[in-house]
Amino acid sequence: MDNTPVLEWIANASDGRKVTLAQLLVYELRVRDAMHKDPVTARPSDSLRSIQNLMKTHRISGVPITQDAQLLGIISIEDIINALDKGHINEPSDKWMTSTPVTLRDHYTLVRAVAEFDRHGFGRFPVLDACERLVGIITRGDISNALVHHLEKRAEEAVAHEAVLVAERQADEKVQRVVLRTPIKSGDFDSAGRVSQRMREVLRERGIDPDARRRAAIVAYEAETNIIIHSIGGELRAVIEMERVTIDAIDQGPGIEKVELAMEEGWSTAGPMARQLGFGAGMGLPNMKKCSDRFEVRSELGIGTHLHAEIDLKKAESKT
Amino acid sequence: MSTRPMKIQQLLELLQAELLTGSADGQIHGCYVGDLLSDVLASAKPDVLWITIQVHRNVVSVASMKDISAVLITRGRKQDPQTLAEAEGAGVTVLSTPLSAYEAAGRLWEVGLR
Ligand SMILES: Nc1ncnc2c1ncn2[C@@H]1O[C@H](COP(=O)(O)OP(=O)(O)OP(=O)(O)O)[C@@H](O)[C@H]1O
Ligand SMILES: [Mg+2]
Repeated sequence: MDNTPVLEWIANASDGRKVTLAQLLVYELRVRDAMHKDPVTARPSDSLRSIQNLMKTHRISGVPITQDAQLLGIISIEDIINALDKGHINEPSDKWMTSTPVTLRDHYTLVRAVAEFDRHGFGRFPVLDACERLVGIITRGDISNALVHHLEKRAEEAVAHEAVLVAERQADEKVQRVVLRTPIKSGDFDSAGRVSQRMREVLRERGIDPDARRRAAIVAYEAETNIIIHSIGGELRAVIEMERVTIDAIDQGPGIEKVELAMEEGWSTAGPMARQLGFGAGMGLPNMKKCSDRFEVRSELGIGTHLHAEIDLKKAESKT
Repeated sequence: MSTRPMKIQQLLELLQAELLTGSADGQIHGCYVGDLLSDVLASAKPDVLWITIQVHRNVVSVASMKDISAVLITRGRKQDPQTLAEAEGAGVTVLSTPLSAYEAAGRLWEVGLR
């Protein structure tokens, strides 16, 4: 019945470095949290025989003797064995009980209770409240059981708490996902850079490292200007997440005849109007590729071009 | 890159430049000359003076994207008021010089901006 190994384990675990949850619990939990409440009692006039029967039916090894809720003494299983041996089993309990037994208070911590068990070597203690009333009885086994029970409860609470945190984090991630979409018109040079601008603001607010911020902005800007200059119109889509920016630039044509050629530095078919405004160096695509962590261009003549780029983000290193 | 930074204030006299927007208190840490936007995007370093003949508002976008704090427009060209307002909002100082890009860059090189 005694789970003393648990208590020994708790004692041995206190190597002074790590404080286990069980060790915390013996300081937190009180005798009232571990004791058996409303214990089976007997009156002083009850015979030892009737107490023997009580022990048998309730499977207990000690019975406090009380009068008007006041503790007078205690009869243990050893007293019963003695009485059977010596032939006074039919005598009243008050003649053979241990009177004024050592008691514990219900507000004692369990660590104090364990110390009392070690000091006196008794198997059980009656428990009194502040008004000296008998309110329970406690054994070493009760303490171990209470600790195990509370450890399980804490573990369940920890698991539940973790689940809540995970759910919150997922909700956060959804909030932290910003999707920017802009239709882009052919020849609309004045609008170039809108998405790129907005993206830079979001990334700056998030404390993203300036290099990643700049690379993402350049990719968006070059993709946008290519749609303006070279296509009949399309859309720029940027998805900003905590870990990366994903850019998709999709247009409705005319498509690129040879993508490998377009990827070469210096290759440009930009017209005079675009060149006058400073476009047409033929450096957009190669630079986009250089600035991206993943980059892909798919194009079909007469159908359109789809450029996909991802830029991995990390937080700027704070100088601490 | 550069040996020592240079105050924008010094440029005003050296390049006969006019401050169109922004502040002359800033500093530049080198120089980049280019009229092709994607070339500047690919190669210019932050905090340089960008010398260009382009006046379109895309210049402001590119400058702020590259953290270029000062732009020098050559051959006496000037940006329109709306573009200048955008530059001010983006924290980009804009100067205008009657010199050509070649002359302006030459003078900066001569006084030790490398
Ligand atoms: N969306 C597109 N649709 C059709 N052709 C395109 C598209 N994007 C790029 N191209 C082709 O690929 C060429 C190279 O593009 P790139 O962006 O590298 O240079 P550019 O746009 O010509 O000049 P720069 O970007 O340096 O101003 C373009 O000149 C054009 O022929
Ligand atoms: Mg381009």
